[in-house]
Amino acid sequence: MRLSIVKRQEPLPGGSFFILAGALVFSLSISALLLALQGKSALGGLYVLWHGAFGAGYALVDTILKSVPIYLCGLGVAVAFRMQIWNIGAEGQFAMGAVGATWAALTFPEAPAALVLPLMFACAALAGGAFAFIPAWLKTRLKVNEIISTLMLNYIAILFLDYLVYGPWKEKRSFGFPMTAQFSDAAVIGGIGGSRLHWGLVVCVLAGILVFVMLRFTRLGFELKASGSAARASRYARMPYDALVWTVMAICGALAGTAGLIETSATVNRLQPSVMAGYGYTAIVVAWLARLNPLTIALAAFFLAGLRVGVENLQLELQVPAAFGNIMEGLILLSVLAGQFFQTYRIALRRRAG
Amino acid sequence: MDRVADITVVRLEGISKSFGAVKANDAIDLDIRAGHILALLGENGAGKSTLMSILAGRFRPDAGRILVDGRETVLSSTKDAIRAGIGMVYQHFMLVPTMTVAQNVLLGQEGGFWLNRGRMEARVAELAEFFGLAIDPAATVSELSMGERQRVEILRLLARDSRVLIFDEPTAVLTPPEIVHLFAALKSMANRGKAIVFISHKLEEVLSLSDDIAILSRGRVVDRVETRVVCSKAELASRMVGREVFLEVEKEPLPPGEVVLEMSGVTGFGLKEVSLTLRQGEVLAVVGVAGNGQKALVETVTGFRRPATGKVNILGREWTEFFRNPDWKHALAYIPEDRLGLATCPNLDMVDNVLLTTRQGFTRGPFMEHGRARQVTADMVRDFDIQPARIATPAGKLSGGNLQKLVLAREFYRAPRLIVAEQPSQGLDVKATEEVWRQLLAARACAGILLVSGDLSEALQLADRIAVMFRGRFMDVFPVSDTAKVEAIGLAMAGVGAGH
Repeated sequence: MRLSIVKRQEPLPGGSFFILAGALVFSLSISALLLALQGKSALGGLYVLWHGAFGAGYALVDTILKSVPIYLCGLGVAVAFRMQIWNIGAEGQFAMGAVGATWAALTFPEAPAALVLPLMFACAALAGGAFAFIPAWLKTRLKVNEIISTLMLNYIAILFLDYLVYGPWKEKRSFGFPMTAQFSDAAVIGGIGGSRLHWGLVVCVLAGILVFVMLRFTRLGFELKASGSAARASRYARMPYDALVWTVMAICGALAGTAGLIETSATVNRLQPSVMAGYGYTAIVVAWLARLNPLTIALAAFFLAGLRVGVENLQLELQVPAAFGNIMEGLILLSVLAGQFFQTYRIALRRRAG
Repeated sequence: MDRVADITVVRLEGISKSFGAVKANDAIDLDIRAGHILALLGENGAGKSTLMSILAGRFRPDAGRILVDGRETVLSSTKDAIRAGIGMVYQHFMLVPTMTVAQNVLLGQEGGFWLNRGRMEARVAELAEFFGLAIDPAATVSELSMGERQRVEILRLLARDSRVLIFDEPTAVLTPPEIVHLFAALKSMANRGKAIVFISHKLEEVLSLSDDIAILSRGRVVDRVETRVVCSKAELASRMVGREVFLEVEKEPLPPGEVVLEMSGVTGFGLKEVSLTLRQGEVLAVVGVAGNGQKALVETVTGFRRPATGKVNILGREWTEFFRNPDWKHALAYIPEDRLGLATCPNLDMVDNVLLTTRQGFTRGPFMEHGRARQVTADMVRDFDIQPARIATPAGKLSGGNLQKLVLAREFYRAPRLIVAEQPSQGLDVKATEEVWRQLLAARACAGILLVSGDLSEALQLADRIAVMFRGRFMDVFPVSDTAKVEAIGLAMAGVGAGH
């Protein structure tokens, strides 16, 4: 008897669901094993994780709030990935969006909400989108690989943000902490009906609907799909490939920038280095888990946000290192990617011939 | 029979294979005999590729038996097939371009841990000489021509002592001299006892090469005949499609209309002083050995390569102006040689592939009219008899003929005034070729057609005028009725003759 790999003639029916479920079980088991290796109770740890993320009302609200920036970044990343533009620069575009919004909030501290909030949205989208034009320009004019350029630009954006909060924008009375002055009340996105859930959620819903409609029903969406499916055929069909690259980068930059704005304004109420929590990278995992579908991205974002919140709980209660969350995130992504192999192949047991 | 061997190496009994509702193979019986060249003929989608994939161990049959040397054998992987002595040369070669011929041939069977380059090369050289396959074992594969690469593939099978060698349309990528070379090698291998299976659409090749012919249609072997009793291509063609097809299409000359394409003195990128005038209602065929500037000509006319010097006018507008924002309708349609990689997206369904070049016609504001696109695609599928008729089928799952019909249906929907058709019937069976030819001739009513073909009979059937291309230059342009010049096309293609 030995194992052999056989290609499926038809893709596994309902495969993506089973694969996702299987990959989750697999990665959670490994995580439990890792907990056990540290001398913690494996099942207890998973329970603490679950309870910390979804188990109580305040935990659920935390998870929903964390899924907002992850969702917006994931949406943007998915648009670019649809065209096989591997933009991993959502993190940097998020930072630039936060910077853009903060500029508007600090420049017009007296302005009413009706003026300053739209201005902040415009500045965040513009800053994020314009920042994403740099790799677009590098790719279309100089044929620079966008994976490398977007990754490196992330560091530039984060350092630029750091420079601002440590330097020109630093609040005088912050006792040396790197942070700007608190935003005026007008520049803070408020809670819905007095709850901790803020209006950024509504922005997510609107953005999700827009992106869904754009991908599904518009000519732009069709051209993105065709260009991502076969670049040569899209050139044959005279699709404006370069313009499409600029467009997807701008959309992704604007969405990630908006995420930066919401996180800065609604959650922290000021700009400080802690807004950079790696949502732009988690967004890549989210987009991929959700197979670039705007609706399932919401689920994946909620799930990974829950993981982040739950791991914080795990840190507190079981003294697990903070990196454990990153390890789990990586495990889930790798298991899902590896699991997709079973969509087109299966492993067969067979007897050795002869 | 004066062959070295006449024994059945592989016998197929009642092989059946279905994909969903489609019976790709239906109770096929076939004997593959040592020392014989068996030709497998059939339309696109007749089940040839499925049958050969079963033999090569890539598919398992749903029913039936495979007997190797009289013993029932299960081929559940390509390794099993290789072990049983069955090897396949695919249309797309599977070689490591950066390695040498000898390394490629002996890949995976070097024996020990240490490689001995000299001994490997000596072994490959010996093998090559024995079977008459001239090749330098030390050459790097990336530097070889397609014909030489094919020889490497063959040697790889021979080095594994394959006794049955299957060739899937082996001449499609070869130049005429390489085809002669290949045929000599195939005959030499058969004489040394190998069983050869040769899949082809080209009737004359089958007639000149094979010992036996098996004709497949709709998954069944419908006819089996010894080649020496077949007297003509016409007879073979009629056996193949089950009715008399002489591969002649009726062509009524149309009165030439206005000029749709005019080139004068176009030079550069391999073109030399190319000038031509094409009018609505006529077909101008550009013939020549591949690689003599046809590609540059097509790319220039279709707007993908700016002419370096000289003038190109399309539909009365200068090249730059025309391609600044070409209309999707009543303008230019291009039917490329590469149907799957260039003309269509393999993973997208038929509707999306129809939208590929017609999307401007299905746009309302920023939105696409997907419903109407589905309706139009369904109409195309019906009018052009595309199989399978399910419009959600991805283009990559269509057979060559059906894919070409989809491309034609889409491009004709654009009501073009200028059509550039590149090898439109390449790789198609007789029936599909005939349909494609009829469609092209019908399209002349509104358009001028620039036909670029390596198939002389196609050019003669369709064209009003013929341009012979050699080293980037038109050697001569003449009406197809000029029998003296038609006779001398071969010379002109070789660079000899008038027109300087």
